[in-house]
This record gives sequence, C-alpha cells and structure tokens, in this order.
Amino acid sequence: MRLAAAELVESREILPGQWLQAYHAPGLATGSRAGQFIHVRPGDFSGMILRRPFSLNTTDPATGTVTIHFRVIGRGTAWFTHLRPGDRIDLLGPLGRPFEVDARSRHLLLVAGGLGIAGVRMLADEAIRDGRQVTLLFGAASAREVYPSNLLPDEVEYIVATDDGSLGHHGFVTDLVADYEAWADQAFACGPAPMLAALARLAEGRRARLGVAKLGRKRGGGKADPVGSPAARRKAFLQVSMEQNMGCAVGACLGCVVMGTSGVPQRVCREGPVFAAEEIAWEGGW
Amino acid sequence: MRAKRRAVTSSQGVAEQKYPSAQKRPAARPTSSLGVRGSTVRPGAPVPAPVPALDVDLSVDLGRGLVLPNPILVASGTFGYGIEYGEVVDVDRLGAICCKGTTLKARIGNPPPRVTETPAGMLNSIGLQNPGVDAVIDRYAEIWARWRVPVLVNVAGESVRDYVEVARRLDGVPGVAGIELNISCPNVGAGGLQFAIDAGAAAEVTAAVRRATDLPLLVKLSPNVSDIRPIARAIADAGADALTAINTLSGIAISAGRGRPLLGNIYGGLSGPAIKPVALRVVYEAVQAVRIPVVAIGGVTELADVLDFLAVGAVAVQVGTAIFADPTLPVRLVDELAGECGRRGMTSYRDLIGTALPKKAERPSSKGVEYRP
Repeated sequence: MRLAAAELVESREILPGQWLQAYHAPGLATGSRAGQFIHVRPGDFSGMILRRPFSLNTTDPATGTVTIHFRVIGRGTAWFTHLRPGDRIDLLGPLGRPFEVDARSRHLLLVAGGLGIAGVRMLADEAIRDGRQVTLLFGAASAREVYPSNLLPDEVEYIVATDDGSLGHHGFVTDLVADYEAWADQAFACGPAPMLAALARLAEGRRARLGVAKLGRKRGGGKADPVGSPAARRKAFLQVSMEQNMGCAVGACLGCVVMGTSGVPQRVCREGPVFAAEEIAWEGGW
Repeated sequence: MRAKRRAVTSSQGVAEQKYPSAQKRPAARPTSSLGVRGSTVRPGAPVPAPVPALDVDLSVDLGRGLVLPNPILVASGTFGYGIEYGEVVDVDRLGAICCKGTTLKARIGNPPPRVTETPAGMLNSIGLQNPGVDAVIDRYAEIWARWRVPVLVNVAGESVRDYVEVARRLDGVPGVAGIELNISCPNVGAGGLQFAIDAGAAAEVTAAVRRATDLPLLVKLSPNVSDIRPIARAIADAGADALTAINTLSGIAISAGRGRPLLGNIYGGLSGPAIKPVALRVVYEAVQAVRIPVVAIGGVTELADVLDFLAVGAVAVQVGTAIFADPTLPVRLVDELAGECGRRGMTSYRDLIGTALPKKAERPSSKGVEYRP
C-alpha cells in the first residue's frame, strides 16, 4: 500500500454511462494482483471528502498503466469523467486481498453481474497468462449493458445472459452456472449481493451433487487452514468479491463490513474484498 | 524554562497583552513588489525575526503528566489502533493517537451500510464495533508501548459501571497514555438517555472514572445539546483533565431513489468540514466555561482550520474524517504549524491560542492543572 500520483492516459465511455480509464501508475501495474483495489481521491476537496474505491480492472506492467471501469452513479464518479488525459489524481493502493487460485485448477469459471465485471476482469488475464482455461458468464439487464467482447482476451469463452432476453440467455446469469459447475475447478464472482448469495447457495450443494473430492485435502485429513487465510481460500470452490460503502479503505474505520459466518463483521477493505463464499453470512447476520 | 507561564493563574495584565483590541490592529495593506504582500505588520513596529521551524515549541501539556510533542492528534475511529495505515503514516510524528472506541465486552457494531458521504462531510454509524478492552490491550498495548507517540484509549460504555471497569483495566497498562471518554452513548440504566446531554450524568461518569484511574482523563463533548457550558463545567468539576470537543452531530441520510434510510442504523454521526462552524462555536463556549485545556475536533482539513481552532481557545486539535482522503495530513499539519509560527517569529505556538476570544475573557488554559484531590 502506498500513495502515488497517477496521470490519466486514456478515458472513454465504453457503454452508456460506463467508463474505462487508464492511468499511468507503474508501481501499481507491477505490484498488484487480481481482486485488489485502489482508493482514489476526487479533486473537488470542498464537497467530496471521501476517496472512491475502484477494482483494478486490468494492469499492464509493460506500459505501467492500470485501468478502472466504473458507472456514473453520483457526483464522485461524474467528476472522474471530466478528467482529461494528462490530469493527475491521487491513488492509494493496492488495497485488499486478491483472488487465490489453486495451482492445480485448470478450468476457471468467472461470473460477473453488470459492473461486477470490473472485479473479475483482471483474473481472466492472470489465468490465461498462467495457461488456464477461462469461461466468463456475464449477466446484465439488457443488451445495451453487455460488456464488449473485444475488451476481453480472445482465449476467454464468453457467455451472456440478459434479464430481458435481448441478448444471449433470457434470465439470470446464475441460471447458466449449472452447465459449467462440473467443468469448473474453481469459480470467482463479482456482482450484486443477491447474485453472489445465489451462487453461494449453488456452490454449497455442488460437492454433494457432483460427488467430487475436496481439493487440497490430504489422505487422513491433516491440519485445517484457518478460516480466511490464503491457503483456506485457495481450497474454496467459490470466491466472491464484495462491495460496501467505504471510508478509509485500510481497515481503520470499520465502515465497510459484511457479516462473517464466525459472527464477527469482516472488513471488505482488509479481510476482503475477496472472500471464500463460506466466510460470509449470506442470510442477514445482524 | 517557561515555568511561569501557568495559564490558569495568569494575571489580567498578561491577558490584556494577549488580546489586542481590533482597533489597534491595522488593516492588511498590499505593499510594493519588494515587500510582503498582505503583511499585517504594524507600521513602525519591529518586524518579528523568523524562527527556524525546528526551534518552535509545539509541546502541549494536557495535565496529569500527559505532555504531547505537538498539538495535532488523530481522532478516535478514523485511525483504528494506529497500525492500519502502515508505512503511509509515520505515527511517531503525531501529537497523539486516539484509538477506536473501546468497550468492556466485544461489540459487533451496527448493520451496514455504515458510512455515506454527505455534502462536505460524512455520516457514520459504526456502532462501536471493537473486540473489547481485554483484547485491545492484548493485541495493541505492546505495540503502543514501543512508540514515542502517546496513545489515548477512547472508552465507551452503557453504564457508569462499564466505564469504570474499562478504565480500571487500562490503568497501569504500559502503552496506554490516557483515556478519552466517549460519553455520547446511551445510558441503559437511565432509559437510554445519553450521558453527554445531561450535566449530572456526565459528571457522574467522569467522577467515577476519575476515582478508578490515575490516567490522564479527557472527556469528549457532544454537540447535540442546547447549551454546552453547564455540561462542560460539570465535567471539569468532576475531575476531567481536559475536554475534547466535538463528537459527531446526529443525522440521517436517505437512499437515493428508494426513499428509505440509507444507513443500517438509520441514525449516523455527521463529521467533516460541514461541522466545523459548529465545532468552533462549541469550543469557543467551552473554553470560556472551564479552566482545563480543550482539544478541538471537527472538520480540520488544512492549517487554516488548526489556526481557527487555536484562535477560539483550543490548545490542540484532532484530525478525523480528513484522514480518509489524505492520510498524510496530520503529519503535514505539524510541519506547517511549526513553519507558520516560525514565519510569525513565535517561539511557541501558544501565542496563537485564544486570540478570537472576547477581550475580557481569561486566557484559556493551555497547561494541564495540577492534581486536585
């Protein structure tokens, strides 16, 4: 984690109200992993006093650039769209904990709902670099909001669902998971909380349905990894990237919590944003 | 030594000198390109020689032996336990750290969402999530003891007994430099009325904690009251070493488009630049009501804010919400304050304190009082 000034290299509206921006930040481009995020300070200090968290969408160590992908939902995100190439912003990052991919996983299933694509996009790059096969299931309200396939690596198998049926599967993206759960060694998801909760329910019953052995368990058991540790998450079938209103993004203010199954609120910025699905108490909790 | 500069006992003559009337001060005049633009130096008066920033005395005595290296503190709840910002902030350059609110038992806090931005501010309703005093001591006291920066443990509770028990457990723990009482909590024993809004209850809890510990004791005032002065007086009389003002203002945010409360707890505490005028007013009133030092907090985002709070009589300031946007701000303010004093030819920042108070007012206390049984 460090503070750095970054220069805007490129900014464009890739979908109505959705922007893709590239910043020159060499330290971040080399030192970050998929799932981590940055906390960015809007320049209008008088009115907007909080930084804005963005998932690292892609990183390119060769050019030293990182990209963020966001939807304009308020004054903060609107402010970012007015930046011009050459403008500088203040970044804090990389923050949070990354996705943990088991070394033996060959087939990765990525599930993204709407803007959740920004949370898993970088994992597709990393997985392909490591020689894994990637299928991306993407859900959106309508064809107008479907992530352009030309922004994805060619190697990714890309399957789309839309709520109104205007493109691809007519229904929720979670409907598609059944076709791939046997193929996938691990799944990684980012999107609206109800989507993640539905995926967690599906993942829970997966082992019983498929009768597959649990990854990483040596014969005779062995010592269990502590819940939430990288080793434990690496063995989880489903990892989710969570979202929450955020204050400091370093774990100091306890603003961005979700309830954990242990009964202790988990900080999205510190223990997350990536969690193993079984770490989260999906039904209420408070 | 400055042993004679006990503010509490300063004579009227000294006070006169400190607060020159407005008429005596000439208006700022733009000077020629050779001069300093906007200089407020009196014509004919000797120009104060700049003092090297390193030689400016920034130390502040909050009483009972609690001497801070400088008057810039970080506020409770915005800096965790001091370790979260890692290498981004050099904690040993801060005046003091007020840690996250600590209760007797662990608390899971309020349901999310817990924070939201508001115009020039933010609302938070963390709900005092913390692992409980024993776990806090276990996990962090050892780290704090290795630091030069004093750590004040912010203590909250639901009953006088809770507060006393927490204070007792903190007493004598190496690494704990003092206690900041958060009395803006509902007193379960008194039908959920906040301690902070009632002079009697505030005095009761302060006195009880005072009896339980010899640690320096700061008490944090709530702005959600009609008149702060009797409450401040009651707390001071009950044995507090210093006051902190102000805690957050109670507020509500509505979720855009859904027409429902945004925060999981409905109510939140408003902080940030939006509350600075309120904080200035409360500090202004409190310093004139009591003879113990007052530490100001509320919307500090730049040096000008620090100077404003010193002008209304605060001896130190806490930086809170602004840390989220700029974690390096508190340390930078220390340097900027020293630089500003140096430029004005001051050897101590204390000359900045209380300049905005009414002329007849006594000079506010910038030195902790001796132990009073």
